Amino acid sequence: MERAADELRSTPDLEPVSRRPVNRPSAAAGFKIQAPSNLPNRARGTRVVEPANGEGAGFYTQAARLAAQVGPAAAPPRDATIYLVQSGAVSRIATTSRGDAESGGSGAIADHPHVRQAVAGDAIVIDRSRGRAGRSLAAAVAVIPVHTDGVVVGALEVEGDGDDFDERHVGQLVTLANLIGAGLGHDATVSDLTEEAERSRNLEKMKSEFLNIAAHELRSPLGIIRGYASLLSEVALSAEEREVALERIGEKSEEMARLISDMLETARLETMGLDLAVAPVDLEDVIGDAVAAMRPLLGADHAFDLQATGGPIAVVADRRRLTTMLTNLLDNAIKYSPRGGTIEIRVGCDEGVATIMVRDHGIGISAEQVPFLFTRFGRLVTPETSHIRGTGLGLYLARETARLHGGDIVARSQAGQGSTFTITLPVELG
Amino acid sequence: MDDDVKVLLIEDDIAAAEMYRMRLVADGYSVVIGRDGQEGLRMATDEAPDFIYLDLRLPGLDGFEVLERLRADAATRHIPVIILTNYGEPELRERGLKLGALEFLVKADTTPAQLAESVERATGPRVLPST
Repeated sequence: MERAADELRSTPDLEPVSRRPVNRPSAAAGFKIQAPSNLPNRARGTRVVEPANGEGAGFYTQAARLAAQVGPAAAPPRDATIYLVQSGAVSRIATTSRGDAESGGSGAIADHPHVRQAVAGDAIVIDRSRGRAGRSLAAAVAVIPVHTDGVVVGALEVEGDGDDFDERHVGQLVTLANLIGAGLGHDATVSDLTEEAERSRNLEKMKSEFLNIAAHELRSPLGIIRGYASLLSEVALSAEEREVALERIGEKSEEMARLISDMLETARLETMGLDLAVAPVDLEDVIGDAVAAMRPLLGADHAFDLQATGGPIAVVADRRRLTTMLTNLLDNAIKYSPRGGTIEIRVGCDEGVATIMVRDHGIGISAEQVPFLFTRFGRLVTPETSHIRGTGLGLYLARETARLHGGDIVARSQAGQGSTFTITLPVELG
Repeated sequence: MDDDVKVLLIEDDIAAAEMYRMRLVADGYSVVIGRDGQEGLRMATDEAPDFIYLDLRLPGLDGFEVLERLRADAATRHIPVIILTNYGEPELRERGLKLGALEFLVKADTTPAQLAESVERATGPRVLPST
């Protein structure tokens, strides 16, 4: 395979195309591929149409059908083809042509310039320029290399009229190409393919719901800021009222800044993971910072009851993110105890593990719903919580932060009985 | 003031309620605030306001339920209600207007000055007492 790729590299590049490095599958893409224990002989030596996972050619046909569905929903049907490439020749192991599936056929790679380029460069090739003969609409071609055991063995090509493939579509195609590669290496089955398709649809739906929620969440503090700003310029307010107006503008700006920062953190976490800026810190200082930052939001009905250990608790952590994690939990505790009450914060340290417990006496949720608390975009909206604002990102980000620090957050709750969140973090020993 | 026009704001977000109150008071209205649906309904009866602003997302009873109950009660049926919400979805607007709301305003698009204009539309122009 390496030799074939070398030969191919010597041929001139096609223009214009966009090329970029292949995205390796990651946990964030929602699918984990295990490295197969051995490279299937068939993939290397022969023009294979049988996947090694023992599911027959139906696996590839299904994969090609799913790939053909990737792209703008309203566009005409696409063609998707899965190629295996060996020694300058391509074999077509599955094709959907305008929705009809076929398989078989082979030819010289020179006749498949996009595939050649994707395989030779181990790169995703998107060609948006290609108007095909006899077709009035502009066509776009996307070719994703297929790897088995880290080696390029073929490519997935999707071609559509009047289409384009954006980041998201390319991401879906990469996931499918990874599954096809895993199918060659025993590790993926048809049910993985359908699960992936379903997961991707659900995530799309959650994302658009999230956008809607996020827009409302930003709109509400913005409305207040604009309103007070207009009052300050239009109305003769008393000194006291001016003070209130300025305070509100400050608070609501902070609220917007927090929302935007949560959104950016989530996006970053999804695409590249978070880089922690770690340094030795005293956890008690971090807790103190978070409590101080949230105190202005307490109002008359809430109170914090903080009991710390008194001694320093040395952790190696990203101080800013750890503070944000705690403020998210405290904000949550305030929001979900609308009738007020004391929010207890207990700090402990035992056998190399620091624990921070945040307990509220608010509305709580049923035990069955607890696992959904930490889902990304997953806000629990019940009749009791429908008036409470939130994007559903805070707890998700809080737990991810704890986990990135080698710790975790668990929740216990009962409807009407309040909730308890317990953070654990490893302590720096020595 | 004999011809004191009293406005009831049913609104759980104190920052929004205070903001609109400041403007309405500056324009010479007297303003009372109900912090949730139940309190709003009670104040609609006890305070006999001339006019009600109603938020939709409220703890306990939501705005639509409050509106239905206001309309079902002979003591409050005649009071004009304007919905003032963060949600501009057409189906919510339609539902609110069908339930008898005079107008449907989206908070983010409604400055305190525009709110004051909506009261004027509903109750007639204010003549500020000369100072």
